[in-house]
Amino acid sequence: MTSSSSSGLTFKLHPLVIVNISDHYTRVKSQMNPPPTSTSTSGTVNNNNSNGVELHQQFPRVYGCVIGVQRGRTVEIFNSFELLYDPSSHSLDRSFLEKKQELYKKVFPHFYILGWYSTGSDAEESDMHIHKALMDINESPLYVLLNPAINHAQKDLPVTIYESDGIPQLIFVRSSYTIETVEAERISVDHVAHLKPSDGGSAATQLAAHLTGIHSAIKMLNSRIRVLHHYLVGMQKGDIPCENSLLRQVSSLLRRLPAIESEKFQDDFLMEYNDTVLITYLAMFTNCSSTMNELVDKFNTAYDRHSRRGGRTAFI
Amino acid sequence: MNTLEGLVTQIQGLSSTASDVSSLQNFLKKADDSLHAESTRLLAFLDQLDPSKHSLGYLYFLEACTAGPVTKEQASSFVLIISRFISSCVAEQIRLAPDKFTSVCKRFKDQVLLLEEPLRGVAPLLTAIRKLQSSTEHLTTLHPAFLLLCLLAKCYKTGLSILEEDILEVDQPRELFLYCYYGGMICIGQKRFQKALELLHNVVTAPMSTDNAIAVEAYKKYILVSLIHHGQFSTSLPKYASTVAQRNLKNLCQPYVELANSYSDGKIADLETFVQANKEKFENDSNLGLVKQVVSSMYKHNIQRLTQTYLTLSLQDIANIVQLTSLKEAEMHVLQMIQDGEIYAMINQKDGMVRFLEDHEQYKTCEMIDCIDSSIQRLMTLSKKLTVMDELMSCDPLYLAKAGRERHRYDFEDLDNVPQRFNI
Repeated sequence: MTSSSSSGLTFKLHPLVIVNISDHYTRVKSQMNPPPTSTSTSGTVNNNNSNGVELHQQFPRVYGCVIGVQRGRTVEIFNSFELLYDPSSHSLDRSFLEKKQELYKKVFPHFYILGWYSTGSDAEESDMHIHKALMDINESPLYVLLNPAINHAQKDLPVTIYESDGIPQLIFVRSSYTIETVEAERISVDHVAHLKPSDGGSAATQLAAHLTGIHSAIKMLNSRIRVLHHYLVGMQKGDIPCENSLLRQVSSLLRRLPAIESEKFQDDFLMEYNDTVLITYLAMFTNCSSTMNELVDKFNTAYDRHSRRGGRTAFI
Repeated sequence: MNTLEGLVTQIQGLSSTASDVSSLQNFLKKADDSLHAESTRLLAFLDQLDPSKHSLGYLYFLEACTAGPVTKEQASSFVLIISRFISSCVAEQIRLAPDKFTSVCKRFKDQVLLLEEPLRGVAPLLTAIRKLQSSTEHLTTLHPAFLLLCLLAKCYKTGLSILEEDILEVDQPRELFLYCYYGGMICIGQKRFQKALELLHNVVTAPMSTDNAIAVEAYKKYILVSLIHHGQFSTSLPKYASTVAQRNLKNLCQPYVELANSYSDGKIADLETFVQANKEKFENDSNLGLVKQVVSSMYKHNIQRLTQTYLTLSLQDIANIVQLTSLKEAEMHVLQMIQDGEIYAMINQKDGMVRFLEDHEQYKTCEMIDCIDSSIQRLMTLSKKLTVMDELMSCDPLYLAKAGRERHRYDFEDLDNVPQRFNI
């Protein structure tokens, strides 16, 4: 059903859209009543029907519209909004869509409806219905699909963009896309993505979470650079054919790190590093002293010649 | 005759595996008395045994050999035999009979002292300690003997290597006194006054039920080292020192306490007259060298006090304030202190002015990071050990009995559950 040919259009996706879709999905899923049962029930071998129903409960499908700008051969998807799905007619709520479209037009006059989005693991036949319904607004709408199943092995975003191709039988064709962003958007999306839970408000947990984030980011950077290093060593030994374009790319990348290299930076960096290490040292000291204090108390209780009068007061 | 030969064959036969060795040990224990009875003839049989394979048997024989009084000629041959034994014996076998091993080594030390060649005993005793110790944190009975030999042979560095290890396990608490006292003396010899202070402090504040001559001597040195290193001395012992020490030590070290008092007045002339007056007392305790160091340290502390008041000072003024005889001497002192890192200053030789500077350590170098990092690692291991000790303590029956007894009767929560006594 899907092939990898493209119709010559380049797609650019803004992260705001991805965050919107995932937020929509998360809200719907968490509001589902009762909450979906544990995976043990879905793991048993059922007949297809009940399995499908449980899957439907586990991974509810949400629907909405994506809007953006098309300039020549470039399609840039900026924003999205939600729509209600009418299961009886297998179509999206049309009047609501038009109302929303008017409102958005007032604020963003340049944005057009480019297509629609949904969640799921793969495009299905029934989606074509919705797709055709949108074709009167935009002659070749896009279908953005987000896969909400969390797969830790997968490194890329679970987002795919399909466009319709072929006459008279319309099929979905997977297209490649790039992520495009502006500075302001990057900051706000980053902020939203790193929201800490409200009850973990103590400074210690926030600091720990922040530092873990930085640690994993640095670890990833380290592993990627190691891959590059391995590759370059292989090239030097002659196992891998020399590719100058790749070498140029690697060299430009490597010139960007480290970000700053000056003596003043070294000075300040070492001073801050030392301060942090000293504070850790102080914390260790306090920890050790408190253990020692408890030990000495116990020792005195056990071996002190003078008997201790009193003891605990009555708990009343 | 027969029993001895039989023993020898037994030893030769049963020295291969661990189970054999333990049965051999039982055998040897029973035969111990007969060995001691025939101690004069054992020397001949020693040649039939190989110390590296039959360590346990060799040890028993050796112990019985050396049990009696030893003459000077015998001593040199024994010293050779014992040092060869120590270097080639097997650690696991001798750990089965640690007290015999320690008594052999102690007699070895006595013989070495008898021959007046303490240097011959240093290396063998070091090997002996390493073989007897179950871990580097274990204090054996051989430690003080080894340190004594190091002191007499003046090889302080070897002694220091043993002192660097932290002691966490002690066989016999009494050994701690001598160990810390000798250790303190070695540190003084190497001019490591801080470590010497710690070790001597341990001796002085250790639990004592009666007056201890070692503690008295240690207290005298403690006063002197404290004056050299810190420039002051507080006569009150900390709370955890035993009551015996708190009451008696000061009275037994009267001249030293008075020395400390006159030191705190700050007048060098008075100090020197006092030292001259009590010279024989200091000499009897063989502390005269230390006392002389105390006098010279007074100049240093006075100059250090000057850095807190003045930014620049002329050499002549320094000489006057510190009561040195000449400009040259003042310059020498200041130069020496700058080299040792005790003060930070610059001498301007043109006009004879000394400018006192701040400590320019910015603490932002990589070496500083390494230093702090290693301290953190040490703290972490110490913390783990403390937690283990804490848990051990919580299970101690003495502690549980006392803790249980202290609970008041009228706690609502534990009205029924907690017994008043833990019957163990």
